[in-house]
Amino acid sequence: MTRLLALTLTELRLLVRDGTLLVFAFVFPPLVMLILAGVFGTQATVGFSWQNPEHYYVAASVGVPVIGLTLVGLPVALATYRERGVLRRLDASGVPPAQVIAAQAVVTIALAVTAVGTVLAAALPSYGIPHVAHPALLAAGLAAGTLTLVLIGVAVGLAAPSARAAQAIGLLAFFPLYLLGGGGPPRGAMTGVMHHVADAIPSAIPGIVDPWLGLSGLGTQLVVLAGWAAVALAATAWLARRTAV
Amino acid sequence: MCWAPGERSVAGMQTTAIEVHDLQKSYGDRPVLDGVTFAVGEREIFGIAGRNGAGKTTTVEILQGLRRRDAGFAEVLGFDPARDRKRLRRLLGAQLQTSALPDRLRVGEALRLFARLAGNRVEWRELAAEWRLDDLLGQPFGTLSGGQRQRLFLALTMVNEPRLVFLDELTQGLDPVARRETWRLIERARDRGATVVLVTHDMDEAERLCDRVAVLHDGRLVTCGRPVELVTATGTVRVRFSSPSAAGVDGLTRIPGVGEVAYDGATANVTAAPVAVVPLAEELARRRLAPPDFTVIRPSLEDAVVSLLNGAQP
Repeated sequence: MTRLLALTLTELRLLVRDGTLLVFAFVFPPLVMLILAGVFGTQATVGFSWQNPEHYYVAASVGVPVIGLTLVGLPVALATYRERGVLRRLDASGVPPAQVIAAQAVVTIALAVTAVGTVLAAALPSYGIPHVAHPALLAAGLAAGTLTLVLIGVAVGLAAPSARAAQAIGLLAFFPLYLLGGGGPPRGAMTGVMHHVADAIPSAIPGIVDPWLGLSGLGTQLVVLAGWAAVALAATAWLARRTAV
Repeated sequence: MCWAPGERSVAGMQTTAIEVHDLQKSYGDRPVLDGVTFAVGEREIFGIAGRNGAGKTTTVEILQGLRRRDAGFAEVLGFDPARDRKRLRRLLGAQLQTSALPDRLRVGEALRLFARLAGNRVEWRELAAEWRLDDLLGQPFGTLSGGQRQRLFLALTMVNEPRLVFLDELTQGLDPVARRETWRLIERARDRGATVVLVTHDMDEAERLCDRVAVLHDGRLVTCGRPVELVTATGTVRVRFSSPSAAGVDGLTRIPGVGEVAYDGATANVTAAPVAVVPLAEELARRRLAPPDFTVIRPSLEDAVVSLLNGAQP
């Protein structure tokens, strides 16, 4: 535990020094929220499932740093360590790669939680923070989405041949999950095909928006996330064996 | 002698740090190690040399438990690296060929982290002072020069007071000054009681540092011994001296071991076996020739290894 704590604190220090990641985690999500909520105003329409768009985008934007940090930040950090031999260096010093990955995952989650706080801090004086309809379900949806995306991020980090490849894969995954998850156009405004695609992807946004605004339960989303988590876990286990020493 | 089955004394040492016998390893269908056998005595600096792809790095990675051997026997400090990796790890220090630290990690943070990971067996600030890193504590790894990085890596390998240190291509890419400083640091590691296994392409380095050198070629150990033995085993030395006349060099080829004798009117160049050098000097003295520039040019270890590897070509 002491070893994991030491690694986690070191990882945290290193991430805090990564300016690009900090902008991506702490500036981009509040900015997107401020712009989109401002553009669509407060007029409830069918596209927003008769919700106030400002409320909708505050809730949806909470998922943005979660997707960004887990699908871009985490894989890039892990792939960089693999590419540069940092994992092997630590392994030779008695630190198994699994511990390093665990430390990176913990730091990613901690940064995501902090970034969510930044989104809410930006929303509070501008559009206000909407009432949470189902707090327990919101917590469950946020946790399930985050953990699933962490597993996918680890799998991408292990699969990518380089840090640049990890970044490319991460960004390619980020935008569909962000846009089709409801971070851009609301899901109520999507065409039938896109709606079906949106239902099948492991975006963290629906699991946050729906219980927050009281739109629907979490059942289907949890099943989808569980399926993706199982696939990511199996892929991680396979990749870890393949890349193991 | 690189390994004698059942014998526990290596190169005059009473204890053996590493024993390897008939080591086999393939990556897919490609054999990388094919029956490698050697032993390393405690507190030796043991070199492993050979071309790229000869199996050097795979060998040391197997000995550290970072890779599994396909077959053969390996014992490191009394442990099987494949089975006892966890216990063995506490006794080893390692610098891998292709490894680095995060660019943003500062020197002090790296020392503190690795010391903590090793159970705080050494005080990291003392380690920093000992390896002359105390002026660099706040400097990120990415800004260090090659020599500074190697000094840090060596300090990190010593963070758990290892009994055995593996150094893989430690001085590759360093300028001559940094390289020589790194050599001093390696000797210091040995002076602190560690056995050192040094993987290197640099024959100057092997000749300067290693008690013994094993040469691998295509996964096989082609020779092993003290650098001077390897050099001597390649056969010939050149002897050069000035001679006022051709008569002075007439008949020198009759001395056993003397090969060619070339004379350009001022200087004689003799190719001879190393054992023929003293008889040659005696013969010159008998002829009342005492050339002040009598010079014996022995081949370097690099010459010897290149000659050996060329001879080992399929």
